[in-house]
Amino acid sequence: MKSILKIALGIIAALGGFLDIGDIVFTTQAGALYRYDLLWAVALGTVGIAVYAEMCGRVAAVTGRPVFDTIRMRMGFGLGLVALVASTFVNVLTVAAELGGLAIVLQLLFDAEFSLFVVLASIGLVIVVALLPFGGIERIFGYCGLLMLVFVATAIHQGPDWGEVGRGFVPSLSDSKLYLYFVVGVFAAALMPYEVHFYSSGAVEEGWDESNLRENRLNAIVGYALGGLLACTLVVVSGFLFHPVGVNPADLGTAALPAQGAFGETGLLLALGGILFCVGGAAIDSSFSASYNLAQFLGWEWGRYRGPRKAPRFTVSWLLFLFLAMLIVLTGINPVEITEYSVVLAVVALPLTYFPILMIAGDRSFMGEHANGRISSTLGWVYFTVIVTLAITAIPLLLMTNGGGG
Amino acid sequence: MRGEGEILVVHRLLDEQILDSDGKRCGRVDDIELQGSPPRITALLVGEGLYPRRMPKRLRGLARKLAGPERWGANALRVPWEKVDEIDAALHLCCKAEELGLGEGDDPERWMVKRLPWN
Repeated sequence: MKSILKIALGIIAALGGFLDIGDIVFTTQAGALYRYDLLWAVALGTVGIAVYAEMCGRVAAVTGRPVFDTIRMRMGFGLGLVALVASTFVNVLTVAAELGGLAIVLQLLFDAEFSLFVVLASIGLVIVVALLPFGGIERIFGYCGLLMLVFVATAIHQGPDWGEVGRGFVPSLSDSKLYLYFVVGVFAAALMPYEVHFYSSGAVEEGWDESNLRENRLNAIVGYALGGLLACTLVVVSGFLFHPVGVNPADLGTAALPAQGAFGETGLLLALGGILFCVGGAAIDSSFSASYNLAQFLGWEWGRYRGPRKAPRFTVSWLLFLFLAMLIVLTGINPVEITEYSVVLAVVALPLTYFPILMIAGDRSFMGEHANGRISSTLGWVYFTVIVTLAITAIPLLLMTNGGGG
Repeated sequence: MRGEGEILVVHRLLDEQILDSDGKRCGRVDDIELQGSPPRITALLVGEGLYPRRMPKRLRGLARKLAGPERWGANALRVPWEKVDEIDAALHLCCKAEELGLGEGDDPERWMVKRLPWN
């Protein structure tokens, strides 16, 4: 019983940061615009991240090395450098989006100036990271992010036509460019590169070895299923409430309104709290990813577990990335816009993120008996094909739909 | 592995992470020095000064101008092959990083690192 509880807690901790501002923005808007039609894309993205996160965790557990650590060896210096620059650019933009999201939620909770909350949120993150060990950081955001379950209760309370919800899981394409833009957005939001980089570096931070392989598989299957369920729920509650009246939830606060509709002020507070911790966790994950990648590419010492004394360059780069992201938000660009750009640009970086993972996880000289089996390898290649297709279409769609503005 | 035997140089050695005898991460194999015929590995080369020549041919000139050894005094250190202890999932040295001048950027005694508020 105790071990089940321990595993469950581990899964929830790993879940922190799965739902980030990108997921929240894209799923809520997808629901408002297309009701339940895009649920299949959410499900598709969830299986994709689960497949690749499992590979990353397995590589980290077996070899003690996160995936970005091996990128130069597998892709060469030049292409590795391109992957580093692209992922750093997207990561900093993502941190900016998450910081902006944090500030919006704080502003809704405590009425004051937006830019004040951007600065306070950044300082808050530095304090959390300075005071807590790696596991503690993960747990705080993971456990408190469970407040998002209020959206599951909201969906049940709303009582939508479940048959219609079910039909949303049947893939359908349309020639509407805006619809395709949302397919790409919802899918990519689930597969943001920082998630796998953070997950596998986190496994090294926690000293995983082969005895953690079962935990890794459970995290990937059960954890991401729970995350996917929450993402689907956001589509459903938004589709139920906003689609019939034609509301476009252009800001983050609107995402919390369905919970208010169902449970009044308590619902609203729970929803905002859930969003706060999810987005806060994602801010940490994405900023850590930026520094993990830089340090791993250059061969520096890295990791929260080493502490700032033993890994000074890693720590300084983390602070600089956070500061840079803060400056981006302070320019006054709408955080929801930053989010959309970070997600769509991430799509272009996705092949560079996922190809090395597929290579290294399937390499028997490196992984021995734990190399990809038939299922992982098939799923991996199927998803890689999807990712490449989306990467090619993402930028034209972004331009043609005017950034999802129609 | 040391000295004897064969190794897939590009697959398992080039760009590999280097750990010293304390398990400290202290750079990557940025290049490899070969000598004799048939060629044998005599040393690993480490340092930012080697980055320009790792770039695709057409970008090398530009890279050297931006970040070449002349410009930043970027270093290129030599790690004699005898100092390599073992290669498993990473490359382990049989001595401390400081002995070879590796990992200086993370050295708490270095003046820039020394001035960080937590040191």
